[in-house]
Amino acid sequence: MRVWIGWALLLLVLVGLALVPMVLTRDLVTALFFTFIFLTLAANYDVLGGFLRHINLGQGAFFGLAAYATAVVLTRAPWSPKLGALAVWVAVGVAIPLTAIFAALVAYPLFQVRGPYFAVITFGLVLILQQIVLNTSRLSGGSYGVTIPARYYPSLPTAYYAGLALAIGAVLINSFIARSRLGIAFHALRDSEEAAAAIGIDPFRHKQTAMVIASVPSAAAGCIFALFMGHLYMETVLGTDVTLLPVIIAMVGGSGHVLGPVLGAVIVRGLDIGLVYAALPVPNLALYGLMLVGIGLFLPGGIVHVLTRKGR
Amino acid sequence: MTLGGVYALIAFTLSVALATTHVLNVAHGTLMVLGAALATLLTRFMGLSLPLSVLGVAGCFALMGLLFDAVFVRPILHKSRETILITSIVATFGLALAMETLLGFYWARWVDPEPSFSLSLPAPHIEVRGIVLSTQRLLIFAYAVVAIGVFHLVLKHTPVGKAARALAQDYEGALIVGVNPRAVSRAIYTLGVSFTAISGAFYVLTVPLDPYQGIWLTLVALIVVVIGGVGSLPGALLGGLLLGMIQALTVFFVGSGWSPIMFLLVLFLILVFRPQGLLGGRR
Repeated sequence: MRVWIGWALLLLVLVGLALVPMVLTRDLVTALFFTFIFLTLAANYDVLGGFLRHINLGQGAFFGLAAYATAVVLTRAPWSPKLGALAVWVAVGVAIPLTAIFAALVAYPLFQVRGPYFAVITFGLVLILQQIVLNTSRLSGGSYGVTIPARYYPSLPTAYYAGLALAIGAVLINSFIARSRLGIAFHALRDSEEAAAAIGIDPFRHKQTAMVIASVPSAAAGCIFALFMGHLYMETVLGTDVTLLPVIIAMVGGSGHVLGPVLGAVIVRGLDIGLVYAALPVPNLALYGLMLVGIGLFLPGGIVHVLTRKGR
Repeated sequence: MTLGGVYALIAFTLSVALATTHVLNVAHGTLMVLGAALATLLTRFMGLSLPLSVLGVAGCFALMGLLFDAVFVRPILHKSRETILITSIVATFGLALAMETLLGFYWARWVDPEPSFSLSLPAPHIEVRGIVLSTQRLLIFAYAVVAIGVFHLVLKHTPVGKAARALAQDYEGALIVGVNPRAVSRAIYTLGVSFTAISGAFYVLTVPLDPYQGIWLTLVALIVVVIGGVGSLPGALLGGLLLGMIQALTVFFVGSGWSPIMFLLVLFLILVFRPQGLLGGRR
């Protein structure tokens, strides 16, 4: 009985979200689109953060890399103007595999460390990309940013539905992992790497796989984001607040639970949008930071765990 | 090169705190920036002399360290390591974000529309037997050596220092023999935060800082810790000097913007080829 109510609710929410572009104002639809993008990243973060308990503060790097790759291919590649509308697909076709390869490569140094070191050094990925963008202005536009030609922009409903599909896809990936052999292997590695290695689970290969799986939807989100924004600045795509938002969403909602990122996205983005409309005299980022302090100190397991009363 | 001493010092205070309390303080670098900001405020805008303002910074940030310990460390100290880690990352990241935003915002509004923290000395150069030496660099280096020496002596010879080392080596074991982790963490954070803030004041004698560089400095400190070998004091020194040298060379040959990239490349190379760090034995 309760299961049926759950499914009915889910269906209702999905139908509601599908109708949104026809009902709400442009601003709110855009805000929802951003929410989907961040939800995708948060769900991806949870592949490593939830299943393997490796806090990856660098999830935003995949997003930023793919966004910049899309923009750079569309503006700089000599073949792009000749392809017409197809150029977008070519750019996305370059950006996503590129990001996946990047994820597979950085796995080699990153998984040499664990715990706090892993967390902060993964954030180094974001900082390194920031610096590369700022220092290769001929390619990436540097601090002036890069503009994608207007003919490639998707309409708002297109972007909205793509974002929605992506977010649903990312959450589904997590629930599939949770039920699969891979998920069991991840949990075994999380609980004891040595024990898991002893029964034949290769720690590095599995972590690398997790990282690559987690990079693909984030990369796709980066592509859509780049196309929708049209103009990319380092700060909007790779800024500290943007790249850490997904991590915060996952942690607030509850890491390690399929619904955690969804709940976190609703709460954090709700607060975020609320703050924009509240127009307080204090900078929003500061309030945002203080809220994080409160959440970190009082709700360390995330809200899902309070609701399910499992605790830590 | 002299910056290497400062890097080693902030790496060292970070890693001592991390090893004894398992709290990862993401706001570490931000506290350093705040120290630099306060020193700039005291000297440039209130006309205090440099030693006096360094004393002021030390006093203020010793209090700040006490406060940090009471709010961010003490309430979570009894939890599991993993919970402490996640909690401290979220909470101190929030703190860093709030502090740097407020600092940038109000500095721009009240003090200077383009926030940049820097200090200067009355006599920038001294001459010793015909060799011109930069007083700033000498001073920074002397400070780093003295501060690291003080830290070393405290850890080796005082009861609190011994307790801290015991906690870092074997947390449960230390608890069983009666070490009080709260007293240790209070001492570590009071000392660590004030030294970090003073490091900020000395750092800006050569290189100016802006309000938003805090998290990067935390990362630099962690890079130093990992390069040198987790838990190794000589390793932190070597790592700090190495980064200082890399920075100097990159600035000279390629351009200042590339030094963060070089830092991370060196870090990645070391992680792939020598994962335990340069001087790290066990992990």
